[in-house]
Amino acid sequence: MTILEFARGPAFQFALTLFVFGVVWRLVGTFLMMRRHDFSKPRKHSLVAGGVRSIAMRSLPPHELEKKIVFQHVSGYAWHLTFFASLLLFAPHIPFFKQFLGFGWPTLPNGLALACGAVALGILLALLWRRATRPVLRHISTIDDYISVILTILPLLTGFFAYYRFGIQFIRYETLLGLHILSVCALMVWFPFGKLMHLFLAFPARFQAGALLRRKGVEA
Amino acid sequence: MPFEVLVPADEVRLQRPDPGCASRVETGNVPLLLAEVRHALERLVRSGTPHTIDLRAIPLGPGEEDRLLAALGRGEVHAEFDSMGPTEIQECGYAGVWCVTHRNPGGTTVTGRFLEITYAPELLASPAEDVSAALERLTAELTTA
Amino acid sequence: MTSELGGTVGDFLRARGVSRRGFMKFCATTASLMAMAPTMAPKVAEALEKARRPSVIWLPFQECTGCTESLTRSHSPTIEGLLFDAISLDYQETIMAAAGHQAEEILRDVTKENWGNYILCVDGSIPLANKGYSTIGGVSNVDMLKQVARGAKAIVCIGSCSAFGGLPKANPNPTGAVAVSDIIKDKPIINVSGCPPIPIAITGILAHVLTFGIPELDHYGRPRAFYGQTIHDRCYRRPFYERGQFAEHFDDEGAKAGWCLFKVGCKGPITYNSCSTYKWNFGVSWPVEAGHGCIGCSEPNFWDWQGLYRPLSTTQWGNWTTVGAAAGVGAVAGAVAALASRRKQRPVGEDVEEAQS
Repeated sequence: MTILEFARGPAFQFALTLFVFGVVWRLVGTFLMMRRHDFSKPRKHSLVAGGVRSIAMRSLPPHELEKKIVFQHVSGYAWHLTFFASLLLFAPHIPFFKQFLGFGWPTLPNGLALACGAVALGILLALLWRRATRPVLRHISTIDDYISVILTILPLLTGFFAYYRFGIQFIRYETLLGLHILSVCALMVWFPFGKLMHLFLAFPARFQAGALLRRKGVEA
Repeated sequence: MPFEVLVPADEVRLQRPDPGCASRVETGNVPLLLAEVRHALERLVRSGTPHTIDLRAIPLGPGEEDRLLAALGRGEVHAEFDSMGPTEIQECGYAGVWCVTHRNPGGTTVTGRFLEITYAPELLASPAEDVSAALERLTAELTTA
Repeated sequence: MTSELGGTVGDFLRARGVSRRGFMKFCATTASLMAMAPTMAPKVAEALEKARRPSVIWLPFQECTGCTESLTRSHSPTIEGLLFDAISLDYQETIMAAAGHQAEEILRDVTKENWGNYILCVDGSIPLANKGYSTIGGVSNVDMLKQVARGAKAIVCIGSCSAFGGLPKANPNPTGAVAVSDIIKDKPIINVSGCPPIPIAITGILAHVLTFGIPELDHYGRPRAFYGQTIHDRCYRRPFYERGQFAEHFDDEGAKAGWCLFKVGCKGPITYNSCSTYKWNFGVSWPVEAGHGCIGCSEPNFWDWQGLYRPLSTTQWGNWTTVGAAAGVGAVAGAVAALASRRKQRPVGEDVEEAQS
């Protein structure tokens, strides 16, 4: 079995099974966990509005810090936008999504989608370097941080090598494509067990914090 | 047709796809080939070195080969010979550029097509062995006559 | 019947009444067949003049005869056909006149006379699960291959079945089909894969073996001249791929406009063959030009690639049932984890009671 056949076949099936199992396990486990009861009377009743407000407020940098964290803030948004553009708006990826969902959608021209991917990759590499060299960041970084960023870099990197080759003749295209799919499988396997779960948990977490604070009368 | 159609013709409706609909597919190789011809002509003029382009080895979309040959045009010389099938040697509109088309013995299939940039394609010249053999034959004819 | 060994290919062609011009024409088209530069034509001429007509034995095993059809399907003699005549095809069951015991005798005589010098062409896979699955005159394929291969100078595997196992080897491989290279390890093997291979590839390889010996081979033993590039790299629809213009399904506007067939399952990017340059039916057309994606027929195991019409970027993901089952197990695991954590958390009011007491 070639690398590509393995990647498209048993490897992906295994990765998807583990991904679905892990994500559902963590989401159910998180949402079913006990919360402390609050015996006081609620100050405000529009808890949903509070949750939504918190999502909006926490999507912007806190006023006190906004000048100091411009780089992290901008690079965070830039990374998410370009990454999802290259994942969801790149034409060869659409059949991949279509096989689950049954429908596709319009895409960007290849060049533009690839440019977004290049920006995303550049930002990730810059942030990884930053995390490894700055003393404070290095001190507070865990193994989860490193694994998550490396496993996110790999699909972008292997995707570029599969598309552009960059003059590498000794590795054939089908092997590069297989490595690209395998890197996605690795990301999917790791996903539920690390901080990448913020994809599903970030907005619910902000919502819950906002709702609880609104109950206490705090606008945050 | 290489096989018989057993159904009466008026019951069969064949729709030929409109060749025009796909004929604008461009590999982009036509201008590149013309540039190669120009370079070869330059080399021929400068140093007398001939050059041959095998058109079968280059990916061309439907209609592109015709457009290439139309761009090259037709010149004064048209020669044909038949050996294991007809071969046509056509000088193009640009002197020094020749289009050599080989066909199979039935003449139904093109088995090779080359662009030769040369003063005279080799196939036009009489081969040396044939000339020696011809000399012997004619000498024999004249002595016995 | 003995082969006309001792004669060269040049002699053979002259005996057929081929003039010098005809011979040069023959060499020019043969050089093109072998994917060589036109400047090589004189070298081909030189080599063919001197090349002795080798004996070629063609053994058909577990095959559909498509490869023989591909090679011989022509309505009038062609250059390729003549080249094929120039080799001494001493044993080929489909087109030879002899049959039965006579044919068996011919095989025995030819191998004996030309021991060590004949080219063995094989088409069809070799079944190993039961020797009786495919036999010729009572001799199983695997035994015949081993016997005849011992005296061969080189083995040319024609078609994906003999090169890689082909269709019989596809899941679940009920006959235990294997490729020639799985059985013979001590002879040079040239794999001319494809289902069937382009006729030009077959005759081009034979021409090369005749004139210059074994050509340069790739990682799967295929001649680089014909299998060195992917279909995608030489496809005339590549500009549409680059621009993101795809046919979404057969017969839609994109398909009619001749756009890229990636989304209807074209395997061109991972298939090495020369259909996009040499095309089929002597250059008339080829699958993509006719509007159907490449199926990857010159690659090993292409039948098990999950479907001719599933694009390359799709995967085997199971189905919604398996995904649902994984989600179900995950939900149970999550509920168990949540329950366990709830147990560990102090019950409501306990800390209040403690503070009061």
